[in-house]
Amino acid sequence: MERTGAQIVMAGLKRHGVKTLFGYPGGVVLPLYDEMLNWPEVEHILVRHEQCAAHMADGYARSTGEVGVCLATSGPGATNLVTGIATAMMDSIPLVCLTGNVNSWAIGKDAFQETDIQGISIPITKHNYLVTDIDDLPGVLVEAFHLANTGRKGPVLVDIPKDVFTAVTSVDFPEPESRPGYKLAKEPKAEDIERAAEMLAASEKPILLAGHGVVSSDTAESLVALAEKIDSPVVNTLLGLGSIPRSHPLALGMAGMHGEAVGTIAIQEADLVVSLGSRFDDRLTGDTKSFAERAKVIHFDIDDTEHDKTISPDLRICCDLSFGLPALIEAAAAKEHKAWNKHLQEVKEDFPLVVPEGRFMTRHVLDGLSQATKGEAIVSTDVGQHQMWTAQFYGIEQTRSLLSSGGLGTMGCGLPYAMGAKFACPDREVWAVVGDGGFQMTFQELAVARDHKLGVKICLCNNSYLGMVRQWQQLFFDKRYSAVAITSPDYAKIAEAYSIPYLRCETAADVDKTLAEARSIDGPVLCEFVVEAEENVYPMVPAGGSNNSLMHDPDLKSKTATGGSQ
Amino acid sequence: MSPTTQTRTITALVENESGTLNRVVSLFRRRGFSLDSLNAGHCEQDGYSRITFMIEADDGTVTQVLRQVERLVEVVEVEDVTHEPNVTRELVLVHVFGSDIELNRAGLECIAKGGKILVFEQGAATMELSGTPDQIEEFVTNLSPQLKRTVHRTGAIALHTNPWR
Repeated sequence: MERTGAQIVMAGLKRHGVKTLFGYPGGVVLPLYDEMLNWPEVEHILVRHEQCAAHMADGYARSTGEVGVCLATSGPGATNLVTGIATAMMDSIPLVCLTGNVNSWAIGKDAFQETDIQGISIPITKHNYLVTDIDDLPGVLVEAFHLANTGRKGPVLVDIPKDVFTAVTSVDFPEPESRPGYKLAKEPKAEDIERAAEMLAASEKPILLAGHGVVSSDTAESLVALAEKIDSPVVNTLLGLGSIPRSHPLALGMAGMHGEAVGTIAIQEADLVVSLGSRFDDRLTGDTKSFAERAKVIHFDIDDTEHDKTISPDLRICCDLSFGLPALIEAAAAKEHKAWNKHLQEVKEDFPLVVPEGRFMTRHVLDGLSQATKGEAIVSTDVGQHQMWTAQFYGIEQTRSLLSSGGLGTMGCGLPYAMGAKFACPDREVWAVVGDGGFQMTFQELAVARDHKLGVKICLCNNSYLGMVRQWQQLFFDKRYSAVAITSPDYAKIAEAYSIPYLRCETAADVDKTLAEARSIDGPVLCEFVVEAEENVYPMVPAGGSNNSLMHDPDLKSKTATGGSQ
Repeated sequence: MSPTTQTRTITALVENESGTLNRVVSLFRRRGFSLDSLNAGHCEQDGYSRITFMIEADDGTVTQVLRQVERLVEVVEVEDVTHEPNVTRELVLVHVFGSDIELNRAGLECIAKGGKILVFEQGAATMELSGTPDQIEEFVTNLSPQLKRTVHRTGAIALHTNPWR
């Protein structure tokens, strides 16, 4: 059976179970958009900026574990995807990014809307393709989905010239072939697991450091089973949050630059750190020389390049956690660490998260959101102070529910992440927690939410500053504020312009009421919380500083302080 | 204790695909690995190439380079052959101008090292020499300063010569 390139793309999407495609049309993808009308089973979401097509596909993937798909035309369409692709790459999110390009014979001649997106995207994709022969297209699509969602996951870009969309071929989709150079880490070596079990047996103060790998490999249950069997506390990286319910007695929350004090202190005091799918990012480790300085380190990672990149472990185990964790549970002896866990509980009580009374801060909002939703909503964030407070205060109970740009730190991804997640999981409650800086980067997508009556709830914490940058200027640049005060439009009018309900909250006392009202509204709603301008995130480890030198919240000693909901 | 660097010879077998070489070179630049030379060419299998990299690096960096290169989808195998049985060769083409005495001296040196005189005429000569990178370096640096020259080195190619590895 002969098919056009456009038919092959649509059939390929259907074949891989793609129900939603985020894109924006343009000249060279016209044949594909024409063909799309024949495939109602694949819903195309017309975004308002291609960056958000990539972010929505990313939010779709983060919330489901399925491959997210985005589509853009050549030239500016393709380059607008770049931030979204780089964001997905840093966090190992499976995406297939389709771009059109100019006719294959025109490539290299600076044709209208031509850009070398393959060259541009080499450093920010797991792999990419420029398909100049229609006969290659079915195989490339199959391989793109295979690469994106196996091994260490990541974005794969497929660039398709306009004439390839209209060319015909009878070549069918092949079965995914294992390429000779694509080696997937699977089972751990038995002797490594044996040694890890011995190290666990010898440890009096173990810490399980659970990163994004636990989420990507869907092994959260195994993580909790291991923690319970060896009675070990669990610390999370930002992207690992949710891999153990925050309500679990062994969960210590996030560690690192703005982690909870107990998480960071636990790693510094531990005699053994078992890292499960974390890449020892600088926001976690601080100065690597003093990171976990009393501990031996076991590093489980599916990607061998992460071993020894920033931290040289005592034992490196390259495997897929879906094999590695069950093997370790089997090999590890059941233990009790009463003294260690009791000590950490005391540390936690000594350095609680603080929600100051008598003021109105972002922390009140997130504490309220956590309680109102019982930590069971999908929550996305932008990047900055509100992101760290979300990580601290939102008591996340399950995986794939905290969607946040951990590696690249991309502002503006919060709203499109939430929208991608809501398209994927229409039955889940979805909140976008955003600041006034990031929200202004992408709020044009409110039009999409309105068009689709998409029930995303937006929690906009407006402090009239680029808060995290302001905090650094306050602490490290002598409070010389440079380009951090930011004005906003009248968000009530923005909401009205997009025909979206708007709620405004100006006091801590009204938080619960506002959230309850937002939750009762069907469809999208914009809640603006007008919070205190100069609130800082604590605890804090200054960039590059040692995790031994935590800056604690000055409010911690205040008599009016109370602990957070955890 | 500062890690000691040495010149390492790394070879890779890669699938030929649009962008393969670009991807490999991009990796070195992006990760800050300094590349002394890179040479890519066809090999015994259709659709594949062999690449030889020469890098100046300490043990830790070499380990990272090997793992990072290996991770690329089209890289079938990569190895550090520095301390393995290997043959490593580089080719240089030299075009020199100057007095006949200096040209004769350079030509004799080239022949003594096993090279060839390709063109020899009044005031100018073209020579080729292959050898280890050190031999090529020695020949090029010992050319008389009196001679004006154009020099083109290929960079090394290496073969691991223990087939039973």
